[in-house]
Amino acid sequence: MVPVPNGGLSISADGNTFTLEMQSVAVVDQPRWPALDSIATGARMNFKIVWKSTGEPVKYEDAGKHFHFTGTRATCQLEAEVEVPAIGFSWKSDALNSSKCDVAVIGDEVNGRYYDV
Amino acid sequence: MTQITTTFSARNRRDVLKAGAVALVPLGIPSAMHALADQPAAQSSMTANGGTDPYPIPWLDKNGSHNQPAGAGLEPSHIYHFKGRVARCSTFTGMGTDNKGNRIAFGSPTTDYGVMQGEYWAARSAQQGTFTHI
Repeated sequence: MVPVPNGGLSISADGNTFTLEMQSVAVVDQPRWPALDSIATGARMNFKIVWKSTGEPVKYEDAGKHFHFTGTRATCQLEAEVEVPAIGFSWKSDALNSSKCDVAVIGDEVNGRYYDV
Repeated sequence: MTQITTTFSARNRRDVLKAGAVALVPLGIPSAMHALADQPAAQSSMTANGGTDPYPIPWLDKNGSHNQPAGAGLEPSHIYHFKGRVARCSTFTGMGTDNKGNRIAFGSPTTDYGVMQGEYWAARSAQQGTFTHI
């Protein structure tokens, strides 16, 4: 998990579209993870992810785990670019609208100490 | 030596992209990652109040990655003691091209992303922030 810089996340006024865009995020290229002897190489990643609500309501509630989520299902698409300088490798995805994802939600959550308030 | 050769093969670059977020593990919050390496010889005293970094979901750490796939009934946030907006997704499929012109697919059930924006509790006080799991 990494902090998102100011302006990295934009949410439409109606709350139905989330756009996350970040540049040059430091990541680790570790193809054989989670093998204990897997080699990790420094890499950088640019990406843009767009969630759009479908309007179908979703509610997750688990008192045992102290969390509550209300929101909607969503579509989600991604475009990304990865560079691993040490091995001279880079890769760039096709345009955003060519990707698809099977599971996506957007909404509001409370958990932990806030669940009991 | 064999492992190094194998790791750098084209096949494994393909595996990287299929594995997505699992293979491209974020370096994390710099203060936490460099804490051990940058430790000074003589430690200065500090208030034992905890850091301001977000607290992970306690039961998601069995793989050491503070993560679970997105899915029905599964908690979308990666931060515990949190209230705010969350977006979560997984199971991507798509295509791309490497720097040698090879067409390489990306995506698997473990290719998941999330973003959280709001208030979280750390260092005995409410904090504000936006974080992503990639």
